Amino acid sequence: MSYALRRLGFFVVTLWVALTINFALPRLMPGNPAIAMMARFRGRVNGNVLKALEIAFGVNTKQGLVSQYFSYLGNTLTGHFGTSLTFYPNSVSQVVFSALPWTLGIVGVTTVLAFALGTLVGMTSGWRRGSVLDSVLPPVFVITSAFPYFWIALLAILLFPITLHVLPIGFGYSNTDTIGWTWHFVGDVLYHAVLPALTILVTSIGGWILTMRNNMITTLSEDYVRMARAKGLSPLRIMFDYAGRNAILPNLTGFAMSLGFVVSGAILVEYVFSYPGVGFLLLQAVQNEDYPLMQTLFLLITVAVLVAILVMDFVTMLLDPRTRSES
Amino acid sequence: MRRHWRAASLLVPIGALAAGFAASPTTAAAARPHVRHASASGTLTISNESGSLWTCNFNPFNAAVYQEAAGFVYEPLVFVNALQSGKTTPWLASSYKWSNGNKVLTFTIRKGVKWSDGKPLTAADVAFTFNMLKKNPALDLNSIWSVLSSVVQKGDNVVLTFKSPAVPYFYYVADQVFIVPQHIWAKVKNPVTYPDTTPVGSGPYTVSKCTGQNITYTANAKYWQPGLPKIETVQYPAFTSNDPANVYLATGQAQWGGQFIPSIKSFYLAKSPNNHYWFPPVANVSLFINQKVAPLNQLPVRQAMAFAINRSRVAQLGEYGYEPAANQTGIVTPTFSSWYDKAAAAKYGYTYNPAKAISILKKAGYKKGSNGYFAKGGKELAFSVINVGGNSDWVADLQIIQQEFKAVGIKLTVNNLTGTDFDNDLYKGNFQLGFDNESGGPAPYYELRQLLYSGNTAPIGQLATTNYERYSNPATDKLFNEYASTTSSAQQHAIVNQLEHVMLSDVPVIPVTESVDWFQYNTASFSGWVTEKNPYAQPAPYNVPDVEVMLLHLRAK
Repeated sequence: MSYALRRLGFFVVTLWVALTINFALPRLMPGNPAIAMMARFRGRVNGNVLKALEIAFGVNTKQGLVSQYFSYLGNTLTGHFGTSLTFYPNSVSQVVFSALPWTLGIVGVTTVLAFALGTLVGMTSGWRRGSVLDSVLPPVFVITSAFPYFWIALLAILLFPITLHVLPIGFGYSNTDTIGWTWHFVGDVLYHAVLPALTILVTSIGGWILTMRNNMITTLSEDYVRMARAKGLSPLRIMFDYAGRNAILPNLTGFAMSLGFVVSGAILVEYVFSYPGVGFLLLQAVQNEDYPLMQTLFLLITVAVLVAILVMDFVTMLLDPRTRSES
Repeated sequence: MRRHWRAASLLVPIGALAAGFAASPTTAAAARPHVRHASASGTLTISNESGSLWTCNFNPFNAAVYQEAAGFVYEPLVFVNALQSGKTTPWLASSYKWSNGNKVLTFTIRKGVKWSDGKPLTAADVAFTFNMLKKNPALDLNSIWSVLSSVVQKGDNVVLTFKSPAVPYFYYVADQVFIVPQHIWAKVKNPVTYPDTTPVGSGPYTVSKCTGQNITYTANAKYWQPGLPKIETVQYPAFTSNDPANVYLATGQAQWGGQFIPSIKSFYLAKSPNNHYWFPPVANVSLFINQKVAPLNQLPVRQAMAFAINRSRVAQLGEYGYEPAANQTGIVTPTFSSWYDKAAAAKYGYTYNPAKAISILKKAGYKKGSNGYFAKGGKELAFSVINVGGNSDWVADLQIIQQEFKAVGIKLTVNNLTGTDFDNDLYKGNFQLGFDNESGGPAPYYELRQLLYSGNTAPIGQLATTNYERYSNPATDKLFNEYASTTSSAQQHAIVNQLEHVMLSDVPVIPVTESVDWFQYNTASFSGWVTEKNPYAQPAPYNVPDVEVMLLHLRAK
């Protein structure tokens, strides 16, 4: 139990540090939100707009840093995230929650898929070292993972929508759709998700395969595996219960991290495919010095990563008896 | 919105400016029944990189969204066409008149105009709109209340009284203030934060559906111009980056573009004989010279730089020939050719002339050092120029200028910054040279005033709204004030000629190329587009309220 308590204490302290850094960082950036917005409209609007924006955003009505910090802490803990400056006058919660489902859907599903498939392929190719599967799949996926993501994505756009005229070039759904839980809309969303999802999968699966394969090979030379073979257990049982279960442990923490980072979206994917997710939102928040939005997103990511790690700590505790017997 | 169309780099999306998301993925006005417009037909799709997804807000006084509301839904009093030297067309006002030494402007409001909810538009709505901007300076995007003293309704008239003669402000009050219905906006508690998701306007379109990804505009059956608009539906997708927007145009999925397209001939024109483009120049992209920094405050140094730049080479190589070369008078040609003082330009003769640049510097006492750069009193002629790094064409422009400066013995360091850092330095005067354009207006006066009027600038360290180079000359200021008090075209031309002399003799900025409106159009299913021969409005979809004038001219074939 002390192990669990220590993990919880660690969680709380890390959270506080993250919150504080989250408060400080945006304020170290040059300029102010009104200037950032002018930069976004360069040449499209009259210079006088700056004055109107400064009044609307309350740029010059300054509050002391200390009182800003405490009202920030209070508001964050009570779930009041304020008004977004980029999407003024929409509230931050409104803005974030409209983007979050898209990101969770596409990045979340592909992350889990990449981990599951990668682990399976890695485990099998480690188990059957030197087989056709082992000499083809891992090298191929390691190569695709080494490509820059946007290059693969642009290539996919060039190949499918532009040359072959299948699949859309971007967006989360057809522009003429009405959003709602209809078969037509859901089908359309899935259709639009094919290319982004495939490209993420292709570029992220390699890492899982490689690490899992290597862990597997190390584990296979352990005595308890030889013992299991000697006992005449079925090969599948040895592969999953004896070798796989141990080989997966180091990968779990990595998986937890990537699960946490799901909420940060995939900036490049969303950029290339004009996909309405959180990654873009984050980029835009930073570029527009939208402190409330930026802080909320960083907070969301930090909390998600910390929670995922905490959960994985507990999962490891279940899978690996050694962590429990620590004195 | 947007959109930096200049973020043209195809393969490095991470460095580009655009970003986005959906703020309210709900339909904005789905509940409102639509009476189908009797004579309208066809669906037009606009392709214009917005840089973010739509928020589905249509507040015409919110700088972030007004380009989707103005023109489509909300209308101005008078349409002023920048491409025809400010030619006016009566719009919601059927006529207007200056009086009392050009300090009082009276609009007569058109009768028979209805809001899209069926209620009549009256002079009371107009006076209400102006006074709402007075009460809420955050809505007053053009600072019109810095020159206005009162706006009152008198029957069918609305009388605007200015603090001083304000002829050029006509453009801002008549063309850039979008009239909203009093019966709706009077009930709004805080118009600054009002999202206006279901806008009721007098314009030719209403918003029938809006998601983060797309706005659908439908013809307003109650529109006051008989038989218009002819186009039933307008789709306006939100493009977060340049590439898909360009693909939409090239494949014919969108018919009207406001896009920067690299290699436009092979990427766009070659795809269909119906694809066309026209890029009318509207303002100058200039090298702003900080007047408070030595030795940039020395005229010979500025003159030498003006002679050292090969403007047409910059236009050809840096801008793919899309943007024409500028000239030192600051008059954008051919758009404002009638204002261009040929004789004065010839007298000063600021053409590309490196030999002249070198001789000017020598005469001013500069000596070339062993490294090839001029120096005086141990100080080398070395400057840095700030630029927006996301604008790949401007980065190329400055590389060319850097070589040309080197050829005459001036060292130039290029600092490519992010948009925000750039603006922060530019506005506060924290630079030596800066590369940027002003927004201009319907006559050369507007850009020249943005460039040269000392009232627009601010001390170093404080934010200037324009005149970033901190130029200040009482004689020049006087010219601007004189211009404001005359409606005589001859007198206005005479004053602008004198301003051109200021540009030529003082060289406070160096215009390098001319920024253009990006405009692509497809003639397969629609006719009536703006062309070079018939420039009845500024043609980019982000030009408001010009977008409305264009939409009213378009016909489905």
